[in-house]
Amino acid sequence: MTGTLNDEMTAGFGGYFPTWCPGCGNFGIWAALKNAFKKMNLDPEKMAVVYGIGCSGNMNDFLWVNSFHGLHGRAVPVAVGIKIANHELPVIAVVGDGDCYGEGGNHLLHACRGNHDITVVVHDNRVYGLTTGQVAPTALKGFKAKSTPAGIIEVPVDPIALALSQGATYVAQGFSGDLVHLADLIVRGVEHKGFSLVNIFQPCVTFNHLTTYQWYRERIYKLDTTNHDPADLKKAFQVNLESGDKYPIGVLYESNRPTYTDSLAQLSESTLVSRSPHPDRIEKLASEFV
Amino acid sequence: MINLTVKIGGEAGFGIMTTGLFLGKLATRSGYHAFEYPEYPSLIRGGHNVVSVRISDENVFAQEKDTDVLVCLNLETYELHINELKKGGLIILDQEKVDISKSSVPNPKNPILAVPFSKIISDNKLEIVMINNIALGVLEAVLGIDKSILEGLITETFLRKSQEIIDKNLTAARLGYEAARTGLPDGYSVKIPKKESPPKMYLTGNEAVGFGAIAADCRMYVAYPMTPSSALLHYLAAKAEKCGMVVKHAEDEISVINMALGSSWAGVRSMVGTSGGGFALMVEAVSLAGITETPIVIMMGQRPGPATGMPTWTEQGDLLFILHSGHGEFPKIVLAPGDMKEAYEMTIEAFNLADIYQTPVFIMTDKYLLEGHASVDKAQIVNYQFQINRGKLLSQKELDAIKSYKRYEVTDDGISPRAITGMKGSLHQANSYEHLENGHTTEDANERIRQVDKRNRKFQTYLKNDARLPTVYGPKNADITLVAWGSTKGPALQAMKECKKKINLLHFTHVWPLPSKETKEILQSQKRLLLVENNSTAQFGQLLHMVTGVSISDTLLKYSGRPVDPEEIIEKVQTMI
Repeated sequence: MTGTLNDEMTAGFGGYFPTWCPGCGNFGIWAALKNAFKKMNLDPEKMAVVYGIGCSGNMNDFLWVNSFHGLHGRAVPVAVGIKIANHELPVIAVVGDGDCYGEGGNHLLHACRGNHDITVVVHDNRVYGLTTGQVAPTALKGFKAKSTPAGIIEVPVDPIALALSQGATYVAQGFSGDLVHLADLIVRGVEHKGFSLVNIFQPCVTFNHLTTYQWYRERIYKLDTTNHDPADLKKAFQVNLESGDKYPIGVLYESNRPTYTDSLAQLSESTLVSRSPHPDRIEKLASEFV
Repeated sequence: MINLTVKIGGEAGFGIMTTGLFLGKLATRSGYHAFEYPEYPSLIRGGHNVVSVRISDENVFAQEKDTDVLVCLNLETYELHINELKKGGLIILDQEKVDISKSSVPNPKNPILAVPFSKIISDNKLEIVMINNIALGVLEAVLGIDKSILEGLITETFLRKSQEIIDKNLTAARLGYEAARTGLPDGYSVKIPKKESPPKMYLTGNEAVGFGAIAADCRMYVAYPMTPSSALLHYLAAKAEKCGMVVKHAEDEISVINMALGSSWAGVRSMVGTSGGGFALMVEAVSLAGITETPIVIMMGQRPGPATGMPTWTEQGDLLFILHSGHGEFPKIVLAPGDMKEAYEMTIEAFNLADIYQTPVFIMTDKYLLEGHASVDKAQIVNYQFQINRGKLLSQKELDAIKSYKRYEVTDDGISPRAITGMKGSLHQANSYEHLENGHTTEDANERIRQVDKRNRKFQTYLKNDARLPTVYGPKNADITLVAWGSTKGPALQAMKECKKKINLLHFTHVWPLPSKETKEILQSQKRLLLVENNSTAQFGQLLHMVTGVSISDTLLKYSGRPVDPEEIIEKVQTMI
């Protein structure tokens, strides 16, 4: 980045102006995140956003909040660590599909299981943008890209089924072309006590000419216009499975289970970072070895 | 002087290690020093376990090859270790299970004490696990251990169980004692009667590091189980709730270190522990800690590689791997404690250095240091004075005084003031990309150079303020100077004590960064150097050569998976003079 940030640029969580391609789906997610933070009255100094690596991760310079820009695939464990250290902070991981469902897939499973109270916002454009156009784990079968010129053999990862089956307690899907709806999903995800996944369909205007804005508009439908009950895990699986060539957006599932930090007795009185140093335990601990 | 070694061997899963630990505790509670070296295969049941406990009324630094007492709970122990028995040494064997007449190894002239372990168990309706206590009762009789010390130890071990269980275990010990007293052959003489001595702690390297971490106010320990570091995870997990620490067994080592970097960035002292293979997975994040300037303590317990190697054995084979770990250029600090006291103190120091330099700090250990017990005077530990130094971590008041906070402010010492999220005025980002002083991404040539130089200046600051030269043990002018780092300190000190030649030891605990000029001077001021390392390629020798230009041609390198024996050092010294 060049030039100094001024107050005007950083107002309302803003930062440098994005370097994404004109028309990129990231703009919608960026705006929805800022709107969600504003709506929740979050203090940019009393929260943490963790980024992975990719076009999505580049948001680190466009969103002015306390943040940790980590490694490709590893945003989720960093976010979990921050939450354990200070469970009063809202912690959001901004990641991409390759980041979260490919390189860091294992971390996603285990963060769901632990019900760590973080919100994982996944940019799902079914393609790798920053490395100039290879298939993502969510690429539709047969998609032709630089790394799979004959079409991808694997079937796409199903992030919704994955999160549902591994114990996530808030599972939502949004569309970067519907800002208001998406911002609401993010607000509900951050406010939800427990692990939240927000999978966001977004077009990549440069490297994915299949799943365009138009393509999505023809296929998505809003769950809140149906009689879907987000408290019902079976129905969440069902609506995800039965969607076929239609894609539901909205909250697929939400339930309550104690979070990881709520289950730790040592965090019941204060956060890990704010607890006072313990009185001298050295004598007692040393005696145990005599 | 009393110098007594007892080896206890048997099939894995029958409490051999517990018997060894208890014998060590009996010795230290009787006023003696003790050093334990356990050997076991990478199996849960079956296979051969042996534990060697060396006991002395003087300081004891390492194991002894030969043994005074050999307790054989199976025939294999007899066959594998009978040649290590000292002249007049005592064989104790399980009368029913160990029939040495069936062995191809000839009957020694050593006295034999046959104990009917299995018969005692069945006749008295005891449980098989109580064979430990029968053996301890036998040793009580053989070694003249004070009865009340053994009974006290058994009683407190089962304190939370019923009185019936305590009584059964006490009975087992008593029956072992009686069997040994009546059957004890002539010719065995080394005893350890109770004597007055200041209280001693008897602990493993894993426990010393864990204890140090608690003392240093470490609040987050993340690990994935891996021998030989798993017992550190177990120790801290057991203490976590009471000590206000979170101990997280994460899904893999990549998650382990990233999670710890998250908690550290959010302000809590954080540590990870692993061995070579697990550390290999962490390497990318070591680099992340370097550029984001996030403090992290990494306890690295070496074992023989490559790959899975020999999981339950020892080696110092990962020094250069650690030094070069993490892509890109950034400072890191490597400490290598040589005994339990140093493991405790250097863990505390590692946390301070990590906070001061905002970069990865390693505690280099190995199976030999981590899994064996050794005694240390309790007063030496509890009287150790230290401060918790969090470096340039800002208080809210200090942050208030800064008009526009810059996380990566370019400073003379290379270290920037650190605010944590949640503080007023802390707005910043930690960035794995090269960044401006305010944390934002940059590819500008000048800004890049400024940040690289800033980070590299930490090396100079460390060398000026915190580097430690090797400690010289023994006479100033020796014919031969042993050069060692980390855990080979013990065998080297023991060799010095027993060797009739005039030798001393240069022991390095602060192995990286090394001050070039001063290290060179120390090396060159010795008459003749002998490098002692537990690896095949003289890794520390290579490092010394790189830093000082001094090349050590005489080496004792051991890479069989076994620790260096003091006797091997003495032998080597004798061939040199």
